[in-house]
Amino acid sequence: MLQKKICMLGGFAVGKTSLVRRFVQSIFSENYLTTVGVKIDKKSVAFPDKTVDLILWDLAGEDDIGSFRVSYVRGATGLVLVVDGTRPATLAVALTLRERVEAEFGAMPFVLLFNKSDLADRWAISDGEIDELRQRGWQIYLTSALSGEHVDDAFRQLASMVAN
Amino acid sequence: MVEIARNVDPDNRALYEGIPAADHRLEALRQLLVGGEISELSRVTHLLDEPEQLAAAVGNVLPDATARASYAQLGEALAPAVERAAQRSIQKNPHTLTDILYPVFLPAIRKSIGEKIDQTFQSLNESLRHIFTWHGLKWRFEAWRTGTSFSEVVLNHSLVYRVEHVFLISRSSGLLIAHVTAENATSEDPQLISSMLSAIQDFVKDSFNEKENSGLDTIRFGELRLWSEVGPFATLVAVIRGNPPEELHEVIRDVLLRIHDESSQALERFDGDTSQLPGVETQLQTCVELQHADSKEGFPWLVVTAALLVLIAAGVWFFLSWQSGQRWQAYLSRLETQPGIVVSEQKMRGGQFYIAGLRDPLATDPQSLLSGTEVDPARVHSNWQFYQSLEPEFVLKRLTAALTPPDSVRLSVVDGRIIAAGEATTAWISRARAAAQQLSAGGPVFDISGVRDVSPEERWQAYVSRLETQPGIIVAQQNVRDGQFYITGLRDPLAADPQSLLSGTEVEPARVHASWQFYQSLEPEFVLKRLTASLYPLDTVRLSIVNDRIVAEGEAPDTWIDRARAAARQLSVGGPEFDISKVRDVSPDARAAEHWQYYVSRLEAQPGIIVAQQTARGGHFYISGLRDPLAADPQALLSGTEVDPARVHSQWQFYQSLDPKFVVKRLTASLSPPKSVRLSIVQGRIVVVGEAPAGWISRAQAAAEQLSADGVVLDVSQLRELNLAELNHLREAIQTTDIFFSSGRVVPGPEQTPVLDRLADQLKEFAENARKAGVTARFMLTGHSDTTGRETANASISAARAETVRALLNKRGVAPELLLVRGAGTFEPAVPENENSRTGNSTNRRVSVTVNLE
Repeated sequence: MLQKKICMLGGFAVGKTSLVRRFVQSIFSENYLTTVGVKIDKKSVAFPDKTVDLILWDLAGEDDIGSFRVSYVRGATGLVLVVDGTRPATLAVALTLRERVEAEFGAMPFVLLFNKSDLADRWAISDGEIDELRQRGWQIYLTSALSGEHVDDAFRQLASMVAN
Repeated sequence: MVEIARNVDPDNRALYEGIPAADHRLEALRQLLVGGEISELSRVTHLLDEPEQLAAAVGNVLPDATARASYAQLGEALAPAVERAAQRSIQKNPHTLTDILYPVFLPAIRKSIGEKIDQTFQSLNESLRHIFTWHGLKWRFEAWRTGTSFSEVVLNHSLVYRVEHVFLISRSSGLLIAHVTAENATSEDPQLISSMLSAIQDFVKDSFNEKENSGLDTIRFGELRLWSEVGPFATLVAVIRGNPPEELHEVIRDVLLRIHDESSQALERFDGDTSQLPGVETQLQTCVELQHADSKEGFPWLVVTAALLVLIAAGVWFFLSWQSGQRWQAYLSRLETQPGIVVSEQKMRGGQFYIAGLRDPLATDPQSLLSGTEVDPARVHSNWQFYQSLEPEFVLKRLTAALTPPDSVRLSVVDGRIIAAGEATTAWISRARAAAQQLSAGGPVFDISGVRDVSPEERWQAYVSRLETQPGIIVAQQNVRDGQFYITGLRDPLAADPQSLLSGTEVEPARVHASWQFYQSLEPEFVLKRLTASLYPLDTVRLSIVNDRIVAEGEAPDTWIDRARAAARQLSVGGPEFDISKVRDVSPDARAAEHWQYYVSRLEAQPGIIVAQQTARGGHFYISGLRDPLAADPQALLSGTEVDPARVHSQWQFYQSLDPKFVVKRLTASLSPPKSVRLSIVQGRIVVVGEAPAGWISRAQAAAEQLSADGVVLDVSQLRELNLAELNHLREAIQTTDIFFSSGRVVPGPEQTPVLDRLADQLKEFAENARKAGVTARFMLTGHSDTTGRETANASISAARAETVRALLNKRGVAPELLLVRGAGTFEPAVPENENSRTGNSTNRRVSVTVNLE
């Protein structure tokens, strides 16, 4: 059994919870997010030689970076950064969160998800911006919790990054 | 060069001793060539030679050197020194080390003490909880039996638990290292649970700013407890169902320590790959196997039950045999109190009863005495010998049987002696005397001195006088001749038989010669008997003798009454009278007539009904008379009288009864007096008292005048006129109010709104006051029009105006039933029309109001 602790980070209402709701295995209600501030889900990714269980810590999304509980990230081996593609400000939030985590626990692999790709008419991130980020070597996915587009790919990519 | 040679080889020094050393050129050359090295060399030499300098230099590199040294070697090298140092430090001043270790030990000690206290409380709690229960008693016995303390036994039984799950969780990442489940225990995904548990630990720690290096000790949810033990790299969480003892903490902690001992490095480096930590699960398995179930087999139920059954059986047997013994004794004492029974021997053996003794044949049967004692007769074996009891009662019985004393002799037991008293024949007396002599010695004395000897003549005379007292027997003649008795006379066949009266008189029937003539006695008893025999009176008729008259009472059909009447006539002169007047004829017709009469009398008692004539003919009833419409219905009065309504033909004329009650009713209906007026009947006069409007008073006075002609007094003198001064004022105000309209309009203009508002208030006030005074006020709204246009149009427009005003007043809260409406058209103008047509502003287009009081 190979398991990895993964933290989902992102601003308020970027769709983290929606991403996990449909694509992962869960036993806890979403009330945990508001009570304990974290909700744990599991995503099993099968590779030919092994199966990696990603233990996803869905942290309560907050735009107030100061109240972010860094302690929940302790022991994590990867991050899922989630950005709302219709709100450019959430990209800054996600990157700031990542910086805080790296400052505390060092660099770790991550995937960057631009969520809500189904809302094409309200899309507010330019392709140029995304390309620029890609050029830094970042793994970027345009996902939709609604259609499920690229969600599995993103988890699979992250699983392969943390398993090696 | 010499100097170089000298320095290179010491031997050369001597060789070139003579050569002057202080060749400044040489010195300069030397400085040029190795001057730097010389000064560096001298600094190092100086450094090594001076301890202070050397210590400073080593001190500079020591931390780094220690860090680079191999852990094992350094540990080996340092251990003795550190130990000695610690030893010295403690010897010198133990406080220093204590202060250093204080923050480390204190939490551990605190936790340990806390657990100990919990353990004590748990034991105390459980002991107290069970101390007075049935379990408690049982366990107290067990404690005594096994020689352990009571609280231990209590804990042993009450702390029933099972460790269902054990999670070993990485402290750094919250990832699950290992998970073991007890048999039959289920849970959700353990990986998620372990992460969530560590998240909750973090949450609590962050939320309450708890820096202590420990975790959440206990989480309790109903029957489930989560106990966690925190180690340096991993946390062990046990999920326990039930009531675990506090010692279990230690057991869990031991397991965690063992795991840390064995795989400390692997735990520290754990990165989510559980294959790095094999064998941990077997350690955890020891935790899961922990459980304590209350043993059910501990108490020897089977043995106790068997013993109880035996005890119960024995108890029942003892009780039953004791009970039957008691019954037997009761029977014996009953036998012994019986006269004429002597119990000589009795015993009980094997549930059977044996009894032997004597009994007088005249005594009660011992067998019959058994009934009611609940002693089983089949188990009684008796052996009775007959004997003659000398008890006076038995002797008396035997004497009575042997002597058959005549009626005139009475035998009794007085103070143990048998005494005969009365009159008897000489023969009987001598037989009695012989019997007395034969009585056994030791028995009671038989005293016959109280028996008077009577001669046959005396006894005859007694018989004759007895006959003479008999009703229906008349002794005409009797005499005694040659020991023979002759008697003649009359006897009623219904009287007692003279022959049968002989018995008990000791007169020999063979010596009696009687000659009786039959006759009919006129004594009432005999007449009654004969009447009873001949008339066969019905159950409903009772015959009795009252003052020597025979009286029949009850009900009978006419046929029987006829027969009785004939019998009464046939009764002999001089005999008693037979009175049948109290027998009611119950023939259907007679009964119907009776019911009819009852109905008529009922009608006659009714006020307001006068029966003029009534007859019954051919089973039909005819009645005629007068009735007041307010009187009771004669037909309705039929019910309950059993008169068949179909056979009643009535003819009633209505009339007005002058009975004051009816007059009051009629007045109430016709005058409808206000509530403030009360009509009452005082000594046949009708008195009206109270307050009423003047109009009503005048109507009442008119009625009084009419009534006086009929001789009925209606007294209205006590009526007072209702005080309507205030109302009159208001009425005036109302009646002078007009609502005006524009030409051809049926809705008043807005300028009329205040008038309508005021009018509505006045109407409501007036209606309310009138109601208080006991009268109803009604308001007539009369619509008017001017003469412009056709008459029919004007009539309808006037009515429409009145209707509109009614609706507007209704809207303002005036009850609609108080508002009456009429259209007067042009017929009731307020001012002559020609004047208005001039001005063009007709005051005749209006609605006027009049007030009526009822």
